[in-house]
Amino acid sequence: MKEISGYYDKEASLLSAVKSLRDNNIKIKDVFSPYPVHGLDHAMGLRRSWLPRAAFIGGAVGAISGFGFQAWVFTRAYPINIGGKPLMAVPSFIPVTFECAILFAAFAIVLSYLFKSHLGAGADNKIYDERATDDRFVVVLDTADIDNNEAEKIKSKFEDSGAMDVKYQD
Amino acid sequence: MENLNLTFKFSKKIKIVLTVLIFIGLAALVYGILNYSPEKIWSALLLNSVNFLTIGLGATFFVAVHAITQSGWHVSIQRIPEAISMYLPIGAIFMIIMLFGLNHVFHWIHEVHHDPIIANKEAFLNVPFFIARLIIYLSVWISLTYMLRKISKDSDVGDGQKSLIKSRTYAAIFMVFFALSIVVFAWDWLMSIEAHWFSTLFGWYVLSGVIVKSFAAIIIVLAILRYLGYMEFITKENIHDLARYLFSFGIFWMYLWFSQFMLIWYANIPEETFYFIKRIDDYRFLFFLNLALNFLIPFLVLVIRKFRRVLWIVTAMAVVVFIGQWVDQYLMIFPGTMKKVPTIGFFDIGLTIGFIGIFLWSVLYSLTKANLLSKNHPYLEESFHYENT
Amino acid sequence: MSEISTREPLIEGNKSLKDITDDVFNPIIAKPGKLWFLGLMIAGSAALIGIIAIVLTIWKGIGLWGVNKTIGWGWSITNFVWWVGIGHAGTFISAILLLFRQKWRTSINRSAEAMTIFAVICAGLFPLIHMGRFLLGFFIFPYPNTRDVWVNFNSPLLWDVFAISTYFLVSLVFWYVGLIPDLGTIRDRMKTKFKKKIYKFLSFGWTGSAKHWQRFEVVSFTLAGLAAPLVLSVHTIVSFDFATSVIPGWHTTIFPPYFVSGAIFSGFAMVLTLLIIARKTMNLQDYITVNHIELMNKIIILTGSIVGVAYMTELFMAWYSGVEYELFAFINRATGPYWWAYWIMMTCNVISPQLFWFKKLRRSIGFTFFMSIVINIGMWFERFVIIVTSLHRDYLPSSWEMYKPTLVEVAIFVGTLGIFFTCFLLFVRFFPVIAMAEVKTTIKNK
Repeated sequence: MKEISGYYDKEASLLSAVKSLRDNNIKIKDVFSPYPVHGLDHAMGLRRSWLPRAAFIGGAVGAISGFGFQAWVFTRAYPINIGGKPLMAVPSFIPVTFECAILFAAFAIVLSYLFKSHLGAGADNKIYDERATDDRFVVVLDTADIDNNEAEKIKSKFEDSGAMDVKYQD
Repeated sequence: MENLNLTFKFSKKIKIVLTVLIFIGLAALVYGILNYSPEKIWSALLLNSVNFLTIGLGATFFVAVHAITQSGWHVSIQRIPEAISMYLPIGAIFMIIMLFGLNHVFHWIHEVHHDPIIANKEAFLNVPFFIARLIIYLSVWISLTYMLRKISKDSDVGDGQKSLIKSRTYAAIFMVFFALSIVVFAWDWLMSIEAHWFSTLFGWYVLSGVIVKSFAAIIIVLAILRYLGYMEFITKENIHDLARYLFSFGIFWMYLWFSQFMLIWYANIPEETFYFIKRIDDYRFLFFLNLALNFLIPFLVLVIRKFRRVLWIVTAMAVVVFIGQWVDQYLMIFPGTMKKVPTIGFFDIGLTIGFIGIFLWSVLYSLTKANLLSKNHPYLEESFHYENT
Repeated sequence: MSEISTREPLIEGNKSLKDITDDVFNPIIAKPGKLWFLGLMIAGSAALIGIIAIVLTIWKGIGLWGVNKTIGWGWSITNFVWWVGIGHAGTFISAILLLFRQKWRTSINRSAEAMTIFAVICAGLFPLIHMGRFLLGFFIFPYPNTRDVWVNFNSPLLWDVFAISTYFLVSLVFWYVGLIPDLGTIRDRMKTKFKKKIYKFLSFGWTGSAKHWQRFEVVSFTLAGLAAPLVLSVHTIVSFDFATSVIPGWHTTIFPPYFVSGAIFSGFAMVLTLLIIARKTMNLQDYITVNHIELMNKIIILTGSIVGVAYMTELFMAWYSGVEYELFAFINRATGPYWWAYWIMMTCNVISPQLFWFKKLRRSIGFTFFMSIVINIGMWFERFVIIVTSLHRDYLPSSWEMYKPTLVEVAIFVGTLGIFFTCFLLFVRFFPVIAMAEVKTTIKNK
């Protein structure tokens, strides 16, 4: 048997189930919910996402390349006197620099998010229960190297915490 | 939270420290009178009077905004801005003292009959109307601030919900009056120093600075209280929120600074550019320091989430912004009043230290007058239990 | 911890999670009503008229318009600024209100964001047509070419290109990231195979995994942090188009924040127009409550008053500065040949929103609907006044002129209204209009 999954209809029972499983050192593979459950990432022990760093790096790259490009165009590539402004007209370069920073930062974080989460047009991720995007909460355990005895124990854990249903999958 | 009744004790030790600060200020003043021209002394007094008055005003703005928007996160620190706003009457006294030195600061007073440009503005720039306007601002600001404070204090013994609803009305009136008056106040006391110059954005630019420095002051007072062993209930999330305010309004300040500078720089009309040319040529170091302290340093530090949650880092940034706003104010006043470029020395810094002493005395004294926690506020729980993403 | 809260509930009707899904899902599979088809027909024909006028303009040239010497920017730039302004409310609601933890935004952010995207599309059309040679539009982008010359980074018009395209792309991405989970919900409930396939493609394989949700929240929050200054920058840069020049009435430093405020003002008015219709026709009264409408009206008072203060400041400074041209420009606005436009602007933008200080009016849906249209008319006239009155009488009296739009210009404007409403009607038909997942986090009885 590969996976056991428990199904809940209440946020509170989901949270307590996750806590009790973790207290018993049972590894949770994933949890599915219709909306972001407050406090679930703490209960599951998920680490903070590094995604904001992608935005920061993207923003820095955008700002530097945006500014650098304008400076290069006006001082090296094709210097033109425009309205008596200095060639290196720093205040004039700020708007485009800013826009480039925001554009790069936004795309950096969104693309990293989609890539990291295996989301994208045509992605075919496994769906445990179609109601998990409606009003159900699903806890999935990876039980590839667990014998039947232990699986029974896990099942009773699920039922104790108020699961409506428990399923095995091979 | 077990016990919601927490009081602040204004100990002798702190009083001694603050007295020393005030004496440094007095010594600086005496030193200044003996050594410098009256222009410089009155300019420095104007700087500090306006600076601290507007911090008090910004604190009332903080209270009013959060009353109107029904926020909950700020409730656990609400008594700090309230206490800061109680400085307003003292600030008002300094503004009235300033009236005796108007001649030394505002050149339009004695040039009105020789200068056609200023003569054209006489309907607005004349001393009686100027004083009348000041009296109006001060009296309305102080009375509304006292009303809000009284309602908040009453809530400790009464019904928090009722008080909140009552405070919303006064907060709305305050917001309307504040938004209008601070703009005209900025024209009067800061822009008219260089009476030939004009900029429509100037009032809002000053307003953004007022908001930023009052946030900085709230953070610094909070850090002092924490250092003295109070306000243990402040969570990392509260600190995070304060830091985010400091961060985002710092960006907003920079935005307004840039908008004003950029448009004047780009259009390049001599009637407008002389203001910045003077500041860039003669005050080059301060001009760029202003941008570094108010924007660049706090931005680069507070953009990192971890740093936004550490009180001492946030406080350090608040101090940087506080100094930055001082420099900004300096650049608004001194290039206009002084014929020669002055140096910043013991006098300028000492005087500000003295003002800090008076300001903190007033704030800490006001803190003893009410419970440290607005305990009956209906959203009190919210400020302890929430999380930042 | 005891829940001490005196806040009004965000949505009404004591909904369960399932109710929310049903309420949002049902309109998507149901056969749309007659009203919807009627609306689509009207909007579609308006769009068609606009497209004909656009083709005509490209075929024959700008000569078909009423623009002439000194008044080079007539209706088309007025409409451009108006549409960009309307496009500000969506991102304001989803970004700035998210940062300020205003949870009420959850029932309106989806449709407001969609509105932003459609409004920006309409806005972008105008400069493109105004170029005259539509097919050479790509010249505005800096690309390597045989002439070795680049674009002029000193020009505010170029900053506009960057600002508007960044704004469009970031808003689109922001909107779509929020849509993914809800599209997943629709995919999982869709019964017909073909439709399921389409929504599966659109939903990017969303599963609702805890890790995805965690990242989703971080990404939304970071995007909000990026979009908030972006929203300020876009209308700021639009205002630079005017304010960097030395035209009296255009060159004034207050323009950037005042344009932003005006943009949010008109954007909220348009959101109210659309949502009041949508809540009625799609039975969303429980989600878009009177409370939501009241809160939006409060933002209307705030931004409307800021705009009013800015008008007064400009007037005062025109006098205070002692610059005769500046003073003339303002007197000419109020008393010159375009006085009627000025006073329509003043009445609609400054005086009428003050009626919202009365709670009764703020909570009246009929009155709000009426006001939302009044404000949009007022904000359109604001741009008209700024552009036309400042241009029609410049420094040289011998070149003073009057400007009148031609039928073609009017048709293009009507056409963009048609495009906008067509897009919006298609959106409410095929996409979840309420951000289900976000609303689900705010309800109490989970």
